[in-house]
Amino acid sequence: MYLTFYCDFWHWLIQINYKMRTKFSGFLTLLLAFVVQLTFAQEKTISGTVLDEGNLPLPGVNVIVKGTSNGTQTDFDGNYTISANVGQTLVFSYVGYKTEEKGISAASTNISLSMQPEADVLTEVLVVAQGISKEKKALGYAVSTIQEESIKESPQTDLTRVLSGKAAGINITSQTGLSGSANQVVIRGLTSFTGSNNALYIIDNVPYSNDTNNSGNFVDGNIGSSRSFDIDPNNIENIQILKGLAATTLYGSEGRNGVILITTKTGSSKNLNRKQEVEVSSSTFINEVGTLPDYQDIYGGGFDQAFGWFYSNWGPGFYKNGLGGWANDPLIDENGTVAHPYSTSAFLNAYPDFKASYEGERYEWRPRNSVERFFKKGISQNLSISARGRSEDGKLGYGVIASHLDEDGFTPGNNVKRTNLTISGDARLTNKIGVRGSMTYTRTNLKTPPLAASNGSSVFGGGSSIFGDLIYTPRNIDFFELPFELPDGASIYYRDDNAIQHPLWTVKNAKYSEDINRVNGFAAINYNFNDYFNLEYQGSVDVYSQNNINRQNKGGVSDFPVITSGFYYTYNTTNTIYDHRFVLSGSNFELLNDKMNISFQLGATSKGTTFERKGVYSDGQIVYGFFDHSNFANSTTLKDVDGDGIIDIDAQDFNRRNVVGVFGQLNVDWDNWAFLSVSGRQDWVSNANENTIFYPSASLSVIPTTLFDGLSSDGGLNFLKLRAGYGTSANFAIGYPTVTNLDSNPVAFIDADGNTIVTNSTSSVYGNPGIKPELIEELEYGIEGRIARRVSFDVSYFNRTTNDLIVNIPVPASTGFTSTTTNIGEINTWGIEADLGVNIFKSDTNGFDWKLNVNFTKLDSEVKDLGLDTDLVIYAGFTNLGNGAKVGEPLTALYGARVQRDENGNLLVDDAGDYLAESVDEDGNLPKIGDANPDFVMNYISTMSWKGVFLNVQVNHTSGGDMYAGTVATLMGRGLTTDTENRLGTFILDGVSASTGEPNTVQIGNAQYYFDNGFASEADELSVYDASVLRLQEVSLGYSIPSKLLDRTPFGSVKIKFSGFNLWYDAYNMPDGTNFDPNTSSLGSGNGQGFEFLTGPSSKRYGVSINATF
Amino acid sequence: MVFLAGVFFTSCETTDLDLLNDPNNLTTNDAELDRLMSNIQLDFNTFLRQMGNNGAQATRLQNPFGRTYRDAFEPVTMDGTWSTAYQGLFSNIQLAETYATALENNKHLGVMKIIKGYTLIVLVDFFGDVPFSEATNPVEFPAPFADPGQDVYQGAIALIDEGVDLLNQPGAELNPDMYYDNDYGKWKKAANTMKLAAYLNTGNTAAFNAIINSGNYIASTADDMQFQYGANQTSPDTRHPSYSNDYTPNGASSYRSNWIMDAMVDNNDPRLRYYFHRQNGCTPGAQGCATDPGRLPCSVTVKPNHYTSDMIYCSVDKGYWGRDHLNAEGIPPDNFFRTVVGVYPHGGLFDDAVIGDETNHPFEGVSSGAGGGGAGINPILLASWVDFWKAEVALASNNTSGAASAMQAGLQKSTSKVASFISVDPTADATVAPTGGQISSFIADIVNQFNSATSMSKKMDILAEQAFITYYGNGIGAYNMYRRTGAPSDLQYSLDPNPGNFVRSFFYPAAEANVNSNIQQKDDLNVQVFWDNNPASPAFPPAN
Repeated sequence: MYLTFYCDFWHWLIQINYKMRTKFSGFLTLLLAFVVQLTFAQEKTISGTVLDEGNLPLPGVNVIVKGTSNGTQTDFDGNYTISANVGQTLVFSYVGYKTEEKGISAASTNISLSMQPEADVLTEVLVVAQGISKEKKALGYAVSTIQEESIKESPQTDLTRVLSGKAAGINITSQTGLSGSANQVVIRGLTSFTGSNNALYIIDNVPYSNDTNNSGNFVDGNIGSSRSFDIDPNNIENIQILKGLAATTLYGSEGRNGVILITTKTGSSKNLNRKQEVEVSSSTFINEVGTLPDYQDIYGGGFDQAFGWFYSNWGPGFYKNGLGGWANDPLIDENGTVAHPYSTSAFLNAYPDFKASYEGERYEWRPRNSVERFFKKGISQNLSISARGRSEDGKLGYGVIASHLDEDGFTPGNNVKRTNLTISGDARLTNKIGVRGSMTYTRTNLKTPPLAASNGSSVFGGGSSIFGDLIYTPRNIDFFELPFELPDGASIYYRDDNAIQHPLWTVKNAKYSEDINRVNGFAAINYNFNDYFNLEYQGSVDVYSQNNINRQNKGGVSDFPVITSGFYYTYNTTNTIYDHRFVLSGSNFELLNDKMNISFQLGATSKGTTFERKGVYSDGQIVYGFFDHSNFANSTTLKDVDGDGIIDIDAQDFNRRNVVGVFGQLNVDWDNWAFLSVSGRQDWVSNANENTIFYPSASLSVIPTTLFDGLSSDGGLNFLKLRAGYGTSANFAIGYPTVTNLDSNPVAFIDADGNTIVTNSTSSVYGNPGIKPELIEELEYGIEGRIARRVSFDVSYFNRTTNDLIVNIPVPASTGFTSTTTNIGEINTWGIEADLGVNIFKSDTNGFDWKLNVNFTKLDSEVKDLGLDTDLVIYAGFTNLGNGAKVGEPLTALYGARVQRDENGNLLVDDAGDYLAESVDEDGNLPKIGDANPDFVMNYISTMSWKGVFLNVQVNHTSGGDMYAGTVATLMGRGLTTDTENRLGTFILDGVSASTGEPNTVQIGNAQYYFDNGFASEADELSVYDASVLRLQEVSLGYSIPSKLLDRTPFGSVKIKFSGFNLWYDAYNMPDGTNFDPNTSSLGSGNGQGFEFLTGPSSKRYGVSINATF
Repeated sequence: MVFLAGVFFTSCETTDLDLLNDPNNLTTNDAELDRLMSNIQLDFNTFLRQMGNNGAQATRLQNPFGRTYRDAFEPVTMDGTWSTAYQGLFSNIQLAETYATALENNKHLGVMKIIKGYTLIVLVDFFGDVPFSEATNPVEFPAPFADPGQDVYQGAIALIDEGVDLLNQPGAELNPDMYYDNDYGKWKKAANTMKLAAYLNTGNTAAFNAIINSGNYIASTADDMQFQYGANQTSPDTRHPSYSNDYTPNGASSYRSNWIMDAMVDNNDPRLRYYFHRQNGCTPGAQGCATDPGRLPCSVTVKPNHYTSDMIYCSVDKGYWGRDHLNAEGIPPDNFFRTVVGVYPHGGLFDDAVIGDETNHPFEGVSSGAGGGGAGINPILLASWVDFWKAEVALASNNTSGAASAMQAGLQKSTSKVASFISVDPTADATVAPTGGQISSFIADIVNQFNSATSMSKKMDILAEQAFITYYGNGIGAYNMYRRTGAPSDLQYSLDPNPGNFVRSFFYPAAEANVNSNIQQKDDLNVQVFWDNNPASPAFPPAN
């Protein structure tokens, strides 16, 4: 009876633990805690040590005298002692390992052994939804598991980015290489183009917000961290990625984009049976700029081969004589110098003394490398200490982890700090009640120079951007040699009109920061009625308070006086999620001679999210350098920064939404070879009139190798599983979509009499009282198996349809509105995901072992119906350049102006020899200029080990996909990289003359070829490149010190690891010298993809980490 | 117990399912009539200024950026203005009318109808067929049909007539009235002047003359309809947007058109110093000035073959530094050299520099806040313009003397209005301003040229040239006149020999055409509006 209770009570905990077991940190695990009656046999006392395949002590191994109830477990050091009779047999068993039997001879006093992993992981158990766990073989859908080893001590400190390439079907996009910048996780492609496509994070069964509260929109500034950055990678035990809807139905509408299910170490500390275990890990990494362009050093700044202080680098050569040499340039004297830019600047007429101090000064005409010197090597340091323990009787457990990260970016002024502290505990109060809880405090502090979209001729919006003008600095300019400050603190730079903000001025005077204090945790209480029924309540909270500061001193360079006057924008965002859940579960219902096993769960949940922002925006700085709202002339909560009549800054926002759901699941297990699961959920939402929807799922798993005895063999097919699933999920509109609002502007104008005029106007957004939930349906088929105990495969095909898609669509302004939220159309997404594992060299004896895992993803989408009368909806970017949804086209397509075509599709060239552009295609729409969706993505992960040494390598390959690459287009158009060295001849564009219809023969010069017909062309198409990339994502080389060597030390295990992240990449279809990294998105964490507007380079990291347990 | 209490407290909070209303915003029930009315007045000005810019760019009053007409006037460039009309003006008028009707605020109703009527007229002038009968009714007409331009014109004139009737009814005054300070007599004159503009376009001389004969139209500068800007830089920015563009710490950002500057230099037009502010006394490549390929690349290139011999190219004399029509070259570092908008009507600097006497009268670079600080005007309907309309009607009926005297009256009103702007720039050195005598002799000279011109077309060219110059600040009148008459026939050609045909009407805005299935985007810019009876492109207009 006692035993039964124990198993039931810990049922799900133990199931988690089955798969938690890891090789390298020996203290992580524990097995079923049998309560064993010890029989004291007289004959012999046997003792020994049980090690795992890596020769680390294996605690918690059951050691039983066969045929008796006499047994024990190994302790923390893997040691055991047991009494038995000669002739009896000891059975060593441990979940996930092959059971070993050792006979006891008269001579036996010490029986030590290494246990080998059970190759057959049929018994692997996964937590799949709402705390419910299942055996992997019973799942009718795909789940990817990522273990601790591939996460912790990674040079990449953003957990989300670590996941990149680890499993098929998951696409991680980084906004930029700045430390702490946003990311996007999309599983199985976009299902919606106006709603969020980001996966749901669930940590220890609790929803975790992954908002990104940017500094502004993508034009004016969009730096800002995603809140998943708050997760401490040191505390991860494993991550399960639920991709399909059949897997996520129970999570409700937020599970529609897939679920990243994280189990923390502290969250699972209840499974530990050791008194106390302490783990320390420390790492130091270098964080540096990925790869900079290969700049050419033959030509300098200017245009049409003539010197000038231009943005462009089409000036004379750095050589004196000959074609293109500087000797011919009237502005370069015989000593090879030009007038110092500050001695000739027209802008500096307003600063006569400053200008006079440069009178007559010359500036050498030679190449310089200031861009390279701008970047620095940042250091990233991470320290984590954790302790877990359990009382002797196993009834009380606790866990504590504290971690600290301090990371400098490769850009001056970029730093991110993160401190995490988690405390958790659990207790069994009486035989029927258990409680557990956990609380995590996180503080994240991000500082960075501002980042905003730039078009290669400075920023186009209202913000400053550190990378906006940096990468294309003409080669003759060293900005370290050019002072960046005027006497009044304003920015000064080489342009005659001072139209570019000096990068060093930006570093000193412009800052963006985020300071996040976050607490999340849960408390759960569990009541076990009897062997069959269990009731659990869990309440959780996730609240963060984020203080943002965006500020810049006066004296910057901008088209907008609000910016040049200096601004100070401070705001606080508090986001609170309360989540309650009751689950009644029933299990162990055996029917039909125990052939059928039934279990079920019934649950109810309510989740409330409240988002509140308050802040102040001030401009008109009075005293340079001082930031306090009292030092600014104007303070407000609403601001139209660029003066276009549209509010850019809204410092106040309040949003509250509740979702209530009930759900149920029924699982039927037939004779261990067929598993059927049926589930459904009904949700109600607070912000709509049509506010409820029911969505069901069903999945089936069949194991032919169990059904047909002869099918499996040790050298042939070991295991085969076929699965099929139908899943659905729903999505609700966000915000307040049913009401039409009134805009009010308290300071619309000041009339001639000095009266401030307040205006009201109808909102441009039309409220739709009939908005209803959207339904997403998915069919998924898969096959999994293993051959010859060396090769494993897992292939899935899915086909997903979004019906009644909720869309913020533009409507014709002639209706009196410009947008509304509505349910239209249908999107279809399908794809293939495959994981293949091969154990090339296999060693059960700690010898050379080499596993190669390859995962493959191919996704495609098609807009089936856009509803209404719309042909094309541009949903991200600009109205004339962005991602669009068009019937018959993929959702990932790029739209913008293209080169004009004749009826045969030939490119048309005008009489000047330039491409003609058109922004209207045959159907009267903005032309399609590309598709961001790659043809396929493959990741190769190699894992080698030999004795205590291991070497892991991960290579990613993205093939195909288009990108509007502003950086590449600018570098080419401005003549900076080695790709543009060949420039002294003439060029003829491919195409047909628009006036004659004959092939174009007009010869044009280099600047006209690269500049006018590159990024400066009206035809955006000319800035689109193939984004294929091959990447050495991760390399790690480590060594685990053999436990024998640690015998006399306090250490349980010590591991040292050298690793690197993003060490090398080649976007092989881009111009060679640009060295561009296409894994970037200027559109931030939204749905836009395939657009880059000088967002900056990616980062490369490498360093060392040490992990020790006590 | 505490734990349970906490559970129940927060769980109730999470189960509230009635959170429909947006706590961040007011609803249309919270609107106030005068606040709506203020928005309508501001949008009316914004709409007309932006349309005025489009018209000015097509007619060489301003410089368009693009190498072809198609490039310069892409569909997307019309999005904002169109939205100001329909989503701004018409939608707000619809809401405000419900309030005004309930309150019997007839003055508000009258002004709204007049504003809506003229907005529709201008929409037709630029786009041709536009949504009218199905507009601003999203439930019934999610994709409004574009009514024929002629029907819209009729409807617009009817609205203006209704508006005038309503102004005669009792009702509370507008608070504020940004155009006429509640002088409804002036509103009626403005309403009639709008109808004059419409009748001029449609060639309805009888109706045109009937209004002229009534005398109830904008005949005096005191009745001019214009929008007054302020000099506030931020919170809010009340400056004329063209001023905000050009008077920045980093210099000018737009180009003036070489054609208008050259035409005015040629005639020694007394309005030059008011219209334009030079930052530099010598334009590279102009007579007596060195070339400078770095700052003005065209100063070292030869005049295109397709330009006529007396057509201005690249470098205007006396330091007027602008761009040729449809020059889309990159931007050289000339921000502190090129000519910028002046004190009229943009509220910038009065140009008081004197070539040869730079010590006493130096060239001044632009800076933020310089001159009038942006406190200029947007001219909407001016008495001087009406005189030019009268001259055009007279000339069309071979009444050359009537045309000459109307033109003379127009020039007098224009020059004196423009000259009065010297007070807008407190830093202006009035000693260099043209004297009354210089102004008179300029006008006499123009009238003389007109009278001595031997052909009707030559007379029309002179009349149109002066009309265009008088329209400076708002190109709607010039754009309509160019399509009515094709004059001036000697406008500067486009830099590219093949710039595409002239904009006979503008593309529909991308945002409208992309999502309105009942509005098909035009194939090209050749579509003529209903009153444009001139030959199809490219036979017309002669100068392209």
